[in-house]
Amino acid sequence: MRNSFLILACVVTALTTACERTANDQQQSSSDEIQGSISVSGAFALYPLMNVWAEEFRKEHPKVKINISGGGAGKGMADVLAGATDLGMFSREIKPEERDKGVWWVSVAKDAVVPTISDKNPILSQLKKEGITRGELINYFLKEGNETWKNSSNKVSVFTRSDAAGAADTWAKYLGADSQEAIKGVAVYGDPGLAEAVKKDPLAIGYNNVIYAYDLTSGKKYPGLEVLPIDINGNGKIDVEEDFYHDIHSITAAIADGRYPSPPARELYLISKEKPTDPLMVTFLQWILDSGQNFVQENGYILLSDEVLTTQKNSL
Amino acid sequence: MIATRLYQEHLRSVWMRIALGLIVILPIAIGLSLVYKSWPLLQPNELFTNLLSTEWSPVQGKFGLWPFICSSIIVSFIGLLFMVPVCLSAAIFITQFAPAWLSRSLRSIIDILAGIPSVIFGLWGVITIVPMVASLAVAYGATNTTGYSILAAGLVVSFSVSPYILNMLMELFESVSTDLKESALALGASYWQVIKDVLLKKLRPGIIAAFTLGVSKTFGETIAVLMVVGNMVKVPEGLFSAGYPLPALLANNYGEMMTIPRYDAALMLSALILFMIVLVFNLLARTLVNHYYTKL
Repeated sequence: MRNSFLILACVVTALTTACERTANDQQQSSSDEIQGSISVSGAFALYPLMNVWAEEFRKEHPKVKINISGGGAGKGMADVLAGATDLGMFSREIKPEERDKGVWWVSVAKDAVVPTISDKNPILSQLKKEGITRGELINYFLKEGNETWKNSSNKVSVFTRSDAAGAADTWAKYLGADSQEAIKGVAVYGDPGLAEAVKKDPLAIGYNNVIYAYDLTSGKKYPGLEVLPIDINGNGKIDVEEDFYHDIHSITAAIADGRYPSPPARELYLISKEKPTDPLMVTFLQWILDSGQNFVQENGYILLSDEVLTTQKNSL
Repeated sequence: MIATRLYQEHLRSVWMRIALGLIVILPIAIGLSLVYKSWPLLQPNELFTNLLSTEWSPVQGKFGLWPFICSSIIVSFIGLLFMVPVCLSAAIFITQFAPAWLSRSLRSIIDILAGIPSVIFGLWGVITIVPMVASLAVAYGATNTTGYSILAAGLVVSFSVSPYILNMLMELFESVSTDLKESALALGASYWQVIKDVLLKKLRPGIIAAFTLGVSKTFGETIAVLMVVGNMVKVPEGLFSAGYPLPALLANNYGEMMTIPRYDAALMLSALILFMIVLVFNLLARTLVNHYYTKL
């Protein structure tokens, strides 16, 4: 028995030294090539773009592993603060309490939240012609009552997000409320979940990040889903300058030049517990703000203005 | 040589005690840390206003937990309502009527069901149960016709929990000796009478215990429920109205609690309530099982 223990001990020691040696060798042989792993979680808004970034970054640095999971902005913040992930994807304003905790952030792109309805809505063509005013949206989303669709007896089914989400928070801000809890309605988990729920109910109204309302490959809205145009000047019809919802290019152009209001347009951030010092993280973030920006538009997001981008680079 | 063996023996017994200690300490540690974290809201006057208030607005510091507690209880109750007849009949069929080959394959189906992660039950609920409930709600003229409701949650939860209950029930039915059944049959009882008047009567405490454990499991079922229940902060008014059970509250808001003052205490309090409910149900089941074994 004692012998077997001894042998086991020897084997373990031999194995660990061997491993250490190969690790050292590797580090020496490829000191110019960065390696390691980065974990990211958080906002669904940034999730698709983050996947593209990770893939492209890995083409240049194949030894880097990047693990990405969704879960909403709130999860991103909680994970980063708890030290569970290196980076959090974040899609709403950072609250003073969060600043006090020393959270560090960098803006990486822009996008917007748009009101969505089902394409089977009984008064769809009227809605597309007349649009909806902010006042009507406030009535639907913030008042607890049995609101009906314009000039019809059809009751509105209001859907919102159940998880702590940047989209929900931004939407609440647009409607003049201070947080996501103010939005009434049936709450569904996740951005894709919300889109799915809205698609299935002809009388539904919800809201989605642009990237979950439009299909990137075709540029069109996802089948079943319609984006409800906002009547910004409130004149009861969608004017030419308010009409930019046909495809992803026209809506992102409108967000970029400010024709689409902000909020619901907003900046998207990456956050970390404190200013990153790890060379791998710094390289990755620099890459995102530099060559990574080439992938922003083609993936349905909006570029930050040059000055904002320069400020972000300097903050690193 | 003997010294080493004694030493090894000693090591083994010490390790086993440590392992056992860990298991025993775990629930106590969880309970205590929940109490510690929810302490700011555990002061008597605070506690009662929070437990019985229906106002939930963390930003304004209002933490009324009543809608969540109600939703939890109602969803579990609806789940139980569906589980009792289905599980009981299925267990009786598998253990008393089914031929050996069928019983074997049915058992493996139940094992597969037990192994399916609850998120899949939730997803399936969204795809199948929610639209079904929605058309029912329209037919009954309910105010919430989206289908996301406590009824959908109860149905989904009953599906995801029933494999566990079935396993417990089957074991129970098999524990009855054939002698007992044979003597009842010899007295002229029909097979169904034997099941109804002998088996069910004899096993009643055990059956109740199995369902009690099942209910405590439904209380904790998080993801499946959260996906279909609608997550609306209000006391459910009917089968078709949306609800917001305690575990869903925890899972949805775990991100926000870090930033809003006293929010973490409120969420920890809801976790503590959930913990207490499960504890009580387990004790209840335990007492029933003990009662049953002493009678045996």
